[in-house]
Amino acid sequence: MSVTAPPQAPAETGAALRRKEDTRLLCGQGEFLGDVYRPDLKHIAILRSPVAHARIRHIDGSGALTLPGVIGVFTGGELAAETGEFSHHLPMIPTLRQITWSVLATDKVRFVGEPVAAVVADSRYIAEDALELIEVDYEELPAVSDAEAGLDPEAPLLYEDWGDNVFLFMPGSHGDIEAAFAGADGVLQERFTHHRISGLPMEGHGALGEFDPATGRLEMYVSTQVPHTLRTVISDISGLSEAKIRVVAPDMGGGFGNKAHFMREEVLVAVLAMRVRHPVVWQQDRTENLLSGLHSRQQVHEVEVAYRDDGKILGLRANFVVDVGSPELYILGCAPAIVTTSVVPNCYDLQDYAFELRCVATNKGPMGGYRGYGQPQGIFLMERVLDLVGERLGIDPVTIRRANMIPDEPRPYVTATGSVLDTGSFGDQLTELLEAVDYDAACGARDEARTAGRLVGVGIAQMVEPTAPNIHGLAGRFGGYEMAMLTVQPDGRVNVAVGTKSQGQGHETIYAKVAAETLGISPDDVEVSDGDTAALPYGIGTWGSRSAVMGGGAVIKAAQQVRDKMAAIAAGMLEAPAEQIEASDGFFRLGEAAIPFAQIAAVAYLHTFLLPPGMDPGLSVVVGYDPGNTSPFPDERGKMNVAATYSTAAAAAVVEVEAATGVVTVQDLTIVHDCGTVIDGVLLDGQIHGAVAQAVGQTFFEEIHYDENGQPLTSTLLDYMIPTFGDAVRARIIHRETPSGLIGGFRGAGEGAIIVTPAALAAAVHDALVPLGVSITQSNLSPPRLRALLRGHSTA
Amino acid sequence: MTKVRFSLNGEVAEVEVEPRELLLDTLRDRLAMTGAHAGCEQGSCGACTVLVDGCGVRSCLMFTVQVGGSEVRTIEGVGSPGSLHPIQQALSTHHGLQCGFCTPGMVLTALELFETDPHPSRDRIEEWMSGNLCRCTGYVNIVKALEAVAGTAEEQL
Repeated sequence: MSVTAPPQAPAETGAALRRKEDTRLLCGQGEFLGDVYRPDLKHIAILRSPVAHARIRHIDGSGALTLPGVIGVFTGGELAAETGEFSHHLPMIPTLRQITWSVLATDKVRFVGEPVAAVVADSRYIAEDALELIEVDYEELPAVSDAEAGLDPEAPLLYEDWGDNVFLFMPGSHGDIEAAFAGADGVLQERFTHHRISGLPMEGHGALGEFDPATGRLEMYVSTQVPHTLRTVISDISGLSEAKIRVVAPDMGGGFGNKAHFMREEVLVAVLAMRVRHPVVWQQDRTENLLSGLHSRQQVHEVEVAYRDDGKILGLRANFVVDVGSPELYILGCAPAIVTTSVVPNCYDLQDYAFELRCVATNKGPMGGYRGYGQPQGIFLMERVLDLVGERLGIDPVTIRRANMIPDEPRPYVTATGSVLDTGSFGDQLTELLEAVDYDAACGARDEARTAGRLVGVGIAQMVEPTAPNIHGLAGRFGGYEMAMLTVQPDGRVNVAVGTKSQGQGHETIYAKVAAETLGISPDDVEVSDGDTAALPYGIGTWGSRSAVMGGGAVIKAAQQVRDKMAAIAAGMLEAPAEQIEASDGFFRLGEAAIPFAQIAAVAYLHTFLLPPGMDPGLSVVVGYDPGNTSPFPDERGKMNVAATYSTAAAAAVVEVEAATGVVTVQDLTIVHDCGTVIDGVLLDGQIHGAVAQAVGQTFFEEIHYDENGQPLTSTLLDYMIPTFGDAVRARIIHRETPSGLIGGFRGAGEGAIIVTPAALAAAVHDALVPLGVSITQSNLSPPRLRALLRGHSTA
Repeated sequence: MTKVRFSLNGEVAEVEVEPRELLLDTLRDRLAMTGAHAGCEQGSCGACTVLVDGCGVRSCLMFTVQVGGSEVRTIEGVGSPGSLHPIQQALSTHHGLQCGFCTPGMVLTALELFETDPHPSRDRIEEWMSGNLCRCTGYVNIVKALEAVAGTAEEQL
């Protein structure tokens, strides 16, 4: 079929594209999961629990089997008998309930949307028709729809053998918390609440599996941020060797951390592909996505803060209660909450800090990772505490932050929880922010507006983000390293394969750039592939702002090794020491003499007699890169350095609240951001704009609702509102570039803006409402929530 | 099964479908036009937008039998690698796409706007586009790209 020409020859055609990815995506030629075509592809539809909590008495799929086009109906009990089980792989944490679960529910369902049975059919239409013919006899049980209610001794039990609903209990105590409180001039007690939201990638989860019985090989296409580690999990449960499994993550319609877990449905696809001996595909629809794939953020923090009258915070005690929903998710759904506890001290010199974390299983969809990964809540806590203590003492937000800030020296600075901070100056970063927004003028304008009866507020917040973390402590394996393969082909073009997986970040473009810079060639000559386990031994995937740091570091390391070999070949040809050879602009140079890059490549493969004596042919390396500065587990004092490096940011927001409607207008948002060496400023700003929109969404629009019976009330995009065009906030972005000590100097980006922005917005809304005496201690500032807060407060 | 004939990007397309089959599925599964994406299948997100007789529709909410005799235009009929439409070029230049899943729907929705109003204001762009959701870009650079197209729309379209 021919393609219609555009109306007229476009003037800009042929202009350079911003990213290598752009052409195919702009033309609708990307290959997303749903675009992967196999002849004879069969479709999986999943029957999900309509009730929040029940025993499964009986499932009868015989009716569904009679429908023409249905190939099979599968239940949890039947599949569980033949497959391995999921677990969290953390037996070393004694206060974590050790549970196992299967690809489908077996004896019980614990949330609306839990997968109960699966149909494989010729088309999705038939498969979904067949779901209606499966009969399930549920013995309904009372539901737990709130974490704090779930702690009540009388609460229904999700797992009877636990005796309560506490999935994880984790205490921590750092410094001398008793002494800190004994020496305090005052104590602030506060309660902060964070609501439940979803990452909501525009493309939901999905997987396609094809099993070849002749070779025993399984090929999986999965919309996942973590193809290699998923391969390990598929191997666990299917029983196939990893050598027989290939996982490919094709183009992805977003992930945002939701796709950094191992969904039971993904493994179900693998198991069914082996059972039915047809290629099979499951594509999560939007309702499935909102019910089960995944939720984030919901926490309650009760804090006590010991402070001195000069504004110095001496100690902080916190009780974290986290609504993890169904705990049957690997990687551990309470992993973000563990991160919350660890980031509370933020960029402040707070060494006396104690907490108790309770992650409560409830009859809701599973909680998991979402961009920011527990950090927005921890940063919100500390930033609100500073403002509230400052308000009590009559100290302004800037002064109280400076009074508590980690000093510029020494570096590294070790936080209470063990983070080894290698960051730049927090004080200078704040100064840059205040100058950028003309803070005093902004406060003056606010005062004028206030005099005129308008609710205008100015708020600031700061954050330090552990980036490129080690996942071992949260997953019981995998680690924090990355791998890359780099091959210079005989024609001098370069292939790079990495173990990270872009979900829109533009990795093909940035990895090509860093490889090309190292090799002294053009990025146009570098092809990058990611997300294919066949291309590289292993990889840890994309999450935790780690790709530039670890993937970039691995690519540069690989490029250095190949460049050095090519320099040695050039040195042989030029009869000079290799150390004197430089690679630039597509040549290996020695003074005036220069040999084209492609010519060296040809020697390495096509004219190998020209190689230096003893040198092997070929120009290809596989490297692993691990800076080795992270901890796999906490030490005996409960401290660990989770991250290879740290990014920082500070944000200032100016907002106006309309009291009658509860609508907040963001008049200005400025972010000073330090992710170390910047690879591509335009792509980086794109990451920040996207994270800002998600922060605005979670603050003013989004909430996953359940009723008291555990019935979800937000199962479509008509109920779960995300920002659209008119809601765009155009943040002013300023970059500081303090290189890390790692390869490339990168610190990692992508999450900083969603971590710091909610706290800045809350501070600004709080400030706007000062005339009404309303205090902001919650993350949800949507119009109805804000109106509820304002009720009873005079707006006169 | 019902036989349906329509024009697809200027070519004749003929399919036999069940009356309940959605246009999105016909385009993707029968006609290999996979640029329209299923983002919500509830008509809320706009990722499946195609033009039917010049008007943007949610192909996830339209039955294929409804387009008999119509002209359907998909992203595959807008531009091609090496010959991008100005909207596509501008989206790249201004980094108005990240994952690219919503992008075909964005391009078609914008195309309809520019074909009726070559110089839309920012407000008009934001209002017109508001039925298309994007989770990556925060819309900032999409608007920037469309404003750039609007500024030179007379020469380019």
